[in-house]
Amino acid sequence: MKAQMSEAFREGVRDGIRDAMQYGARIAGVLAVATGVAGVAHAANGDAAAQQLLEAKCGACHLDNGKLNRISEIRKSPEGWDMTVVRMGIWHKVELTPGERQTIVKYLADRQGLAPSESAAYRPLTERQPNMQDTAPDEELAQMCGRCHSYGRVALQRRDEGEWRKLMHTHLGQFPSAEYSAMGRDRNWWEIARDQMPVRLAALYPKDTPAWREWRSAKHRPATGNWVVAGERPGWGAYTGTMTARAAGPDRYEVSYELRFGPGNTVRGQGDAIVYTGYEWRGSAKLGNEDTRSIFALSPDGSRMSGRWFLKGADEIGARFEAVRADDAVKNELVSVTPRMLRNGATADLTLAGVALDAKVDFGPGIEVVEWLGTSPGGLKVRVRVAADAPEGVRKVVVGGRESAQTVAVFKRFDAVRVEPAFAVARLGGGTVAPMSAQFDAIAFLNGADGKPGTDDDIRLGSVPAKWSTEPFDDRARHDEDARYAGHMAPHGQFVPSFGGPNPLRRGGINNVGNLSVIATVADGDQTLNGKGQLMVVAQRWNPTPLR
Amino acid sequence: MKRLRALNHKAQLLEHAVQEGNGEEVQLMSSVVGCTTTFDPGWEVDAFGGLASLCQPMEADLYGCTDPCWWPAQLADGLNSARDWTDGKNSALRDWRELQTLFPGD
Repeated sequence: MKAQMSEAFREGVRDGIRDAMQYGARIAGVLAVATGVAGVAHAANGDAAAQQLLEAKCGACHLDNGKLNRISEIRKSPEGWDMTVVRMGIWHKVELTPGERQTIVKYLADRQGLAPSESAAYRPLTERQPNMQDTAPDEELAQMCGRCHSYGRVALQRRDEGEWRKLMHTHLGQFPSAEYSAMGRDRNWWEIARDQMPVRLAALYPKDTPAWREWRSAKHRPATGNWVVAGERPGWGAYTGTMTARAAGPDRYEVSYELRFGPGNTVRGQGDAIVYTGYEWRGSAKLGNEDTRSIFALSPDGSRMSGRWFLKGADEIGARFEAVRADDAVKNELVSVTPRMLRNGATADLTLAGVALDAKVDFGPGIEVVEWLGTSPGGLKVRVRVAADAPEGVRKVVVGGRESAQTVAVFKRFDAVRVEPAFAVARLGGGTVAPMSAQFDAIAFLNGADGKPGTDDDIRLGSVPAKWSTEPFDDRARHDEDARYAGHMAPHGQFVPSFGGPNPLRRGGINNVGNLSVIATVADGDQTLNGKGQLMVVAQRWNPTPLR
Repeated sequence: MKRLRALNHKAQLLEHAVQEGNGEEVQLMSSVVGCTTTFDPGWEVDAFGGLASLCQPMEADLYGCTDPCWWPAQLADGLNSARDWTDGKNSALRDWRELQTLFPGD
């Protein structure tokens, strides 16, 4: 029965496509109006190809009185459009090659995307930062929208009230359990979804905004050129380096990287990237022996880039990335200082990554530059001596008289160690599903002016080496021997989950799930400090969308 | 609650939490992006921020979740989106390794 329905449906689509092709000229005109861009005759080759694809693949269902309904009424991030396009494949069997999929997403994200200010609040979701807490403006929106998926998935879309209402209808028809599962059945869910949510969402996330109009009409600086980069990869540590982007077509780049994690650990690589919506950089690169993906955002003026890169197929393992364009016009643009924590009475070699850094570097009272260790296009190195009585705490680094956002912290001894993230999730894998590990970091802190740990004035010094272990989080976890079955900690703070499937060795044949405390033990001179986090090792996920 | 009596472990957990005034405290820990906060009984974690009240092993009730579209953002939705997800894989306990992920690689 399913096969028959599917075949009938496909037949309908084929008929629709034939019809749509006959209306091709009309659709092209509609697209030009709907997206506010020049008509087909003036479009670049890529645009024409995208329009033809839209006509052929989407027009069959969406053509409505000469207009492509739904599609032209929405703005989304690149990932949002990608999920829409893929969903059309899953729901309606629209067949697209990977290249066609990217062409459509590029076309739509460029013309109906989000301005940088509209996507800024949910960058961590876009960047697939693991173990973030989901945030919604209030409880009702969290329960109505963020109960199954992240609230950010909603906040990265723009629609008018009528279009938000259609999305509610889509949810009711496609996912009826939303109405009768917990926090749906305890209220008049459909009335709220149909009448109240569209009004609220249209007020929060309207289709037409000054920010988008301004961004849409502005020219944006290409990413071509040399960049000085820096970041930190939990488990590996801080890095500095360079990135070079060479134009390889409209909004497309060939990219080379050199990332220096420390003595003897320089990672080089090549890759490519595409920029959506004038600022949304999505890259792919082989760094060392690792296949990686990057999700960066160019600053509105094109002078900086910021984001996260991560392993292909394991996006929970990755690194922060900050970059400054190596421009002739730029002077004393500091990207990072490593190491950033300096002990009283010690001598340390510091790497300052940045563009056109002046020889005059000021780390504040009690820190003296005693030796120049060299300069490079990506920065300079100096040896500093930290006075025994240098004031503890954070100070901004000044280069060539220009105060930067980069800081170093002076300390005598660590006051506390915290495990970050404080609460994490790992997932079992197996079969077609890759396991999801959890990467932890041990972070040293000073107690700050009040002398008490865990208060707002605590000073975050940074990541420190630690020994890692797990123990049962509570009595139940101890009873079920979670620490024995759920997985193990690798030396660099990565928890690797155990195998999936029922485990006959466990009572009731339960999975290798677990509720664990993750312990970091840090040696600091003659003291030993512990930090503790919580880790839930949970079941698989079979729907690995880019926006969770 | 006067007329109700906890008969099994899950019910005892509920009763215990209500008696101690902890019925509302699980939201923060459980709202990690990617995890559902629909706790009947929950997919990743339960209403108490733990695992004890979940269906375990999950394979024993996996099709009981996917058939009626429970956890549609985490799992296949057998009601509408992926009706053929379990075709030829009649026992989740035996065939779970054959189940395919829904979103193509990026």
